[in-house]
Amino acid sequence: MTFRQFAFNNVIRNKRLYAAYFLSSLFTVMVFFTFSIFANHPALSGDGMNSTVTKGMNAAAGIIYVFSFFFVLYSMSSFLQSRKKEFGLLMIQGMSMKQIRLMVFLENMLIGLLATLSGILLGVVFAKAILLLAENVLIIERALSFYFPVKAILITFISFIILFFFISLFVTYVLRSKKLIELIKGNKMSKGEPKANLFLTMLAILLLGAGYAVALIAKGLVVVVAMVPVIIVVCIGTYLLFTQLSVYIIRRLKKNERVFWFKTNMLLFSDLAFRMKDNARTFFMVAMVSTVAFSAIGSLFGFQTVLTSNIKNVNATTFSYKTSEENEVKNVEFINQTLKEEKIEADSENTVLRYFEVGGDSILIASQSDFNGFAALIDEDPIDLKDGQVMTVEFEGTNFGQTKELLNETITLNSGTVLKPKEVIHSKALPATDSYFIVSDEDYQKLPEPEFQESYYAWQATDGEERVMAASEKLYKELPRYEITSVDYEIYEIMKGYGPILFVGLFIGIVFFVSAGSFLYFRLYMDLDEDKQKFRSISKMGLTEKELKKVLNRQTMVLFFAPILVALIHGAVALTALSNLFYFNLFKESVAVLSVFLAIQVVYFFIVRFFYTKQIKASI
Amino acid sequence: MLKVKQVSKIYEGKIAYRALTDINLTIDEGEFVGIMGPSGSGKTTLLNMIATIDEPTTGEILINERNPHVLKKEALAQFRRRELGFVFQDFNLLHTLTVEENIVLPLTLDGKKVKEMKDKAYEIAEKLGIIGIMKKRTYEISGGQAQRAAVARAMIHTPKLLLADEPTGNLDSKSSKDVMEMLESINKTEKTTMMLVTHDAQAASYCNRVIFIRDGKFYSEIHRGDNRQAFFQKIIDTLSLLGGDAHDLSSVRV
Repeated sequence: MTFRQFAFNNVIRNKRLYAAYFLSSLFTVMVFFTFSIFANHPALSGDGMNSTVTKGMNAAAGIIYVFSFFFVLYSMSSFLQSRKKEFGLLMIQGMSMKQIRLMVFLENMLIGLLATLSGILLGVVFAKAILLLAENVLIIERALSFYFPVKAILITFISFIILFFFISLFVTYVLRSKKLIELIKGNKMSKGEPKANLFLTMLAILLLGAGYAVALIAKGLVVVVAMVPVIIVVCIGTYLLFTQLSVYIIRRLKKNERVFWFKTNMLLFSDLAFRMKDNARTFFMVAMVSTVAFSAIGSLFGFQTVLTSNIKNVNATTFSYKTSEENEVKNVEFINQTLKEEKIEADSENTVLRYFEVGGDSILIASQSDFNGFAALIDEDPIDLKDGQVMTVEFEGTNFGQTKELLNETITLNSGTVLKPKEVIHSKALPATDSYFIVSDEDYQKLPEPEFQESYYAWQATDGEERVMAASEKLYKELPRYEITSVDYEIYEIMKGYGPILFVGLFIGIVFFVSAGSFLYFRLYMDLDEDKQKFRSISKMGLTEKELKKVLNRQTMVLFFAPILVALIHGAVALTALSNLFYFNLFKESVAVLSVFLAIQVVYFFIVRFFYTKQIKASI
Repeated sequence: MLKVKQVSKIYEGKIAYRALTDINLTIDEGEFVGIMGPSGSGKTTLLNMIATIDEPTTGEILINERNPHVLKKEALAQFRRRELGFVFQDFNLLHTLTVEENIVLPLTLDGKKVKEMKDKAYEIAEKLGIIGIMKKRTYEISGGQAQRAAVARAMIHTPKLLLADEPTGNLDSKSSKDVMEMLESINKTEKTTMMLVTHDAQAASYCNRVIFIRDGKFYSEIHRGDNRQAFFQKIIDTLSLLGGDAHDLSSVRV
């Protein structure tokens, strides 16, 4: 048996031991590969897409690659941690540190090669599924057909062989020459509970509080300025939260014998304290990585909502046409014709919008009957004005108007009468995001010459809504872009551009979230042997199955939900800050995104708990 | 108090293996009984069945006229926790807990009051001379101390039957002697019934009676008179007749 054979056999005959590490490597390769299948798809990289999208895809691939590096590195080092005893045994047999390093290097290269190959193979198998998914999330004119991804295979293979080579090199240096006795005794000795420093504990609360406060108070552009400092402060605060505050709390609980000595609490807390150092690090990482995932996906969805709802708000009707040019009659005729062809039934309304000089600005003044006509179209309540009354209308939704300034202005009629606005109402009836005035029909006649005017037509579909898109396409082809507006088509256009960003964001967010789950899995399984031994000895003394389940349940629960809870709070704060940035309420979207993640985590928790409990029970 | 009636144990598998054949054994209240025999003779199998960790294939085991093997899983765990005490060769202390916490563990699982647990722990620690190490962690104490802590844990709920599996197996001769003397004195003062499985003739000589088994069958039984030295000699003689391996004989003769 040569040394190389030894390293090789060590992996091949020890499949179970290496399985977890192998699977997580495979997972990373697969993620990267499926992403590059997508990014290198001819339909996306061809002339159909502009270069910014390609650049964005490359940047995303870069992020995934860098993240993969750290993820594999982490998996590798936690895997090596659990093999301390084996290294000790080999050293007793006379293996030098140099040889152990060589062995680890060879093993790692072998696993890396296998993981890369099988990751690519699995990726090819699932390629069609991923492309189908992408097709549904994205709005692309052409379908993403299956293709044999030669380029993606090459990129993935070369990148990951390089990645594994560097990790193998790197890891061999991580393996510091420890004392033999420490290696053999393995994990009998606690790595020590980190000392809870009262000052640092207070600092953790202070930093988190300050970070949250700033993030929640900041409005508008201040959010962008405050973002980086807040992220840094919250990051440090989270680290201290897990290394200091949690230690502090557990110590307090341990000191209180009434709690600590109550039934199975002793088993639970002593373990938590014992593993605090490892746990704190994992918790911090999981919390941060999940926060990134939550915030990324949350902001993307939020941003999408902001974009689409703005359009929906500004254009309350299905179609609208606005012009101050000559071929008005012909174009309106064309629109009505198209609607008829597509069998869309619609109520319509039209008027001439007149803009007057008020306080140095051109302000729209509409008559009551015009306003009521359009209001009826979108089921808003009509208003009733007496002569001499002026209503100020503020746009409902994101408002750019100067309602306050308008309230100080007056309108002078031809007869010399001066009208003063009193009331303010909110409406979407007329297509103006600026605030405007409404006067009674009587007064409307007496207004002076307008500064300028334009015709405005609106259609609200009542039947045949599913053919709106087809009609829109025809209309957009014929009419000038700035005159015709179809809400559905506008949204479709935006989504077409936004789709790839959304997809990439979702992809990266999901990768981060899944790997946060793997971190937890590793943490749990590193303690599996120790737990098995512990529960074996306790169950001999008499531990009922119910009690065993209870301890394991709580232990896993702390592991799975402590960091996620922190991440959820972080994410909620981040999304609130985001909605402050856009002056837009994203509460519904935030709740939706965060609760989906929580639900996935709960499912994951049940699965892992089931298998962990099963393994422990089998060993008793 | 303990009755073992016609117990046999067969391990099923590709090749069925008969570990015990028709063992009969009775232990009276307050007795201290040793089980000896060569490696593979079935000593530990017998102990495990009495400890309710394993089940006999045929025959029955009665502890205080009750057959614990008919109990449901949950009730069985409770039974072990309340009626039996265990001492193991490798101590089986939890290294995440201090000595004191290890000792009170069986009581905490039963949800006893803290004050009551503390009192009991200190009372028993006092007797076993381990008061000084109560706050220490398991890796900070010696093997002898660890085994005494384990005995304290096994005794804290005053079990009806204390089962010890090679309690001196991991200890040096001085610590072995301490632990055995301690067990003997607990047996005398507390009247706890004890059963000990051992290879060590020295340790066995502290019992009232030693039962020898060989190849899963009862071989012989000897009683201790007044003199422990003479009893030790008798054990050695029986062991040499038993034809066990050489290492079954203690090299040191006292």
